[in-house]
Amino acid sequence: MINFYGRGRDAIELIVDEGSFEENVCGGEKIDPEFAESALVGTATISGEIVTVIANDAGFANPHFRMVYAGLMGLEEGLKMAYAVYLTIKADKDKPLAEKRPIILVVDTPGMSPGKVEEIIGIYKSTGAYQLASAEARRLGHPIVAMVIGRAISGGFLCHGLQADRILALSDMFGTMIHVMPLIGIARVTKINIMLLEELAESNPVFAAGVSHFYNLGGVDGIVEEVEDMRASIETQIAEIRRLKAGGEHDKVGPWSRLMSGIRRGGRKTSEKVIELMEEEFEKALPCWLGGEDDEPTP
Amino acid sequence: MDDRWNRMQDLPFSRLNARERAVAICNPGSFNELLCPRSKLTSPHLPAMGQTPQFDDGIVVGLGKAGKTPVVVVSQESRFVGGGVGEVHGTKMVMAIRLALRGQRILESRGRSPGDGGQVALVISFDTGGVRLQEANAGLLAHSEVMDAFQAARGKVPIIGVVGGTVGCFGGMGFVASSVDVLIMSDVGRLGLTGPGVIEEVVGTEEFDAANRALVWRTTGGRHRFITRDADFIVEDAMKAFREKVSEVAGWPLKKISEKRIIGTEEMVLEQMRLVGLAANDKIQDSWDLWRQFGNKDIEYLWDSDVSEFTAHAKRWPRGRIGERD
Repeated sequence: MINFYGRGRDAIELIVDEGSFEENVCGGEKIDPEFAESALVGTATISGEIVTVIANDAGFANPHFRMVYAGLMGLEEGLKMAYAVYLTIKADKDKPLAEKRPIILVVDTPGMSPGKVEEIIGIYKSTGAYQLASAEARRLGHPIVAMVIGRAISGGFLCHGLQADRILALSDMFGTMIHVMPLIGIARVTKINIMLLEELAESNPVFAAGVSHFYNLGGVDGIVEEVEDMRASIETQIAEIRRLKAGGEHDKVGPWSRLMSGIRRGGRKTSEKVIELMEEEFEKALPCWLGGEDDEPTP
Repeated sequence: MDDRWNRMQDLPFSRLNARERAVAICNPGSFNELLCPRSKLTSPHLPAMGQTPQFDDGIVVGLGKAGKTPVVVVSQESRFVGGGVGEVHGTKMVMAIRLALRGQRILESRGRSPGDGGQVALVISFDTGGVRLQEANAGLLAHSEVMDAFQAARGKVPIIGVVGGTVGCFGGMGFVASSVDVLIMSDVGRLGLTGPGVIEEVVGTEEFDAANRALVWRTTGGRHRFITRDADFIVEDAMKAFREKVSEVAGWPLKKISEKRIIGTEEMVLEQMRLVGLAANDKIQDSWDLWRQFGNKDIEYLWDSDVSEFTAHAKRWPRGRIGERD
């Protein structure tokens, strides 16, 4: 079976209108083509509709930062992706909700770059900036769909993917990898017997690697079985997201909606109890915390 | 009760547990815990792995007052699975942010003004290595929910972060801490994404020698984060110092608090690109190279001086976009 490791560019071609992808242009503004090339950003159309595309191109390393290679995202890559999102927001600033252009994330990253200079400068800001930008765009109405084509691993997935309205993933058949750490790594760090972990992983999606586990936890909204279906699946999601946002149902898309899916699918049952109890206790504690409803503001 | 509160004020912040920090950061007697240990809402996943759960899942959440400001307080316990974010832990944190927003809406609906206790603030005391591996997937997803809730709180509820515990703030919680409005650290506090041990393991000792304590603190510690402006304030490792700073900041107008942010706008992304540019092509080998670039000369003195002297003399990164001031 084919896989898409390192083939973000090929996946884009399968998703957007033929020949429509224009690199390093977002919201009509140009981005330096030599800046952080493995963070592939640009504009394309899908069935004629303009979209921003943000993808990993693992074929490029960053000549200025040693720890950026094979799809690892570094200091510049996260910031470039964040910038692409802000340019998208800016381009549609005055447009009504229904006309905010979609953002398509093509995800194939093994994570954030683990390096000394990355820590000295603070790589957490690069990934944080991109996540905040994405959350802002999503809340402003831009439909954001993430398509996991290869690796969506740990901090890399948080940075690029998990702030989307909806997340689609190619099925396990394509070698799609979604996890924080493989079981063997978890066993080593936590010193829990690997046999026990393997056995528990059968019934509990909370820690084990794989697309289906993430689906059960709500972390993936839909699994795509055929490469040819990626485009149509993304279009369906865009339409659904637009419908929900038009109705003001912002909690039915994005990370919170995935928590709710995780509860429905049985993968995060305890979270439901946490939410219920905290809301209950909050209501009870309110008068003591903020004063009763009849309390006049002090003059 | 107040006796205990008074005693805690004089203790090092880094020595207090999560609940003590939450109680002592609020006005005396004002902290009211939600989902306290009595509700025994523990991780259902740890026992199956032969690990003992804790009744609060390593995180304390509650309502209190800091000065005149009603606050929602979140405090992580690094002594329980390294402060790792699991299913319950993560959902408690997400709910805390959502409830802070709800509190704010309630105050607004009652016509209360910000200058009159009408502004809710969120205070998060980080002490965590990020995702709890035993519940890795749920922990990962919780981070995305926290970031989304942060964005929802943006411009409505100010978020004040505090880092001064023994573990510091690493992994995904590193970017969560960098997304707050105001970040307060101590000398003891450390902030990063990939922990020194992990870098050493996956890249090698020549990249990062995690056994070198001085190097670890030079790279991730409060003083360096203050110089790069990732931390807005550096305070003594004393509960009192943290509480006073939190109360002060919580009382600021929302606009003033928001201006302290380092990420969250296009302008700030361009600023960070400029900072990153300084480090390209191996120009920066050590955090002190960066300190020198900002005009700090007697670095040994800065490193060894006490916090107030350091704050007075440290030359910090001059914010600005690419092309400005270079």
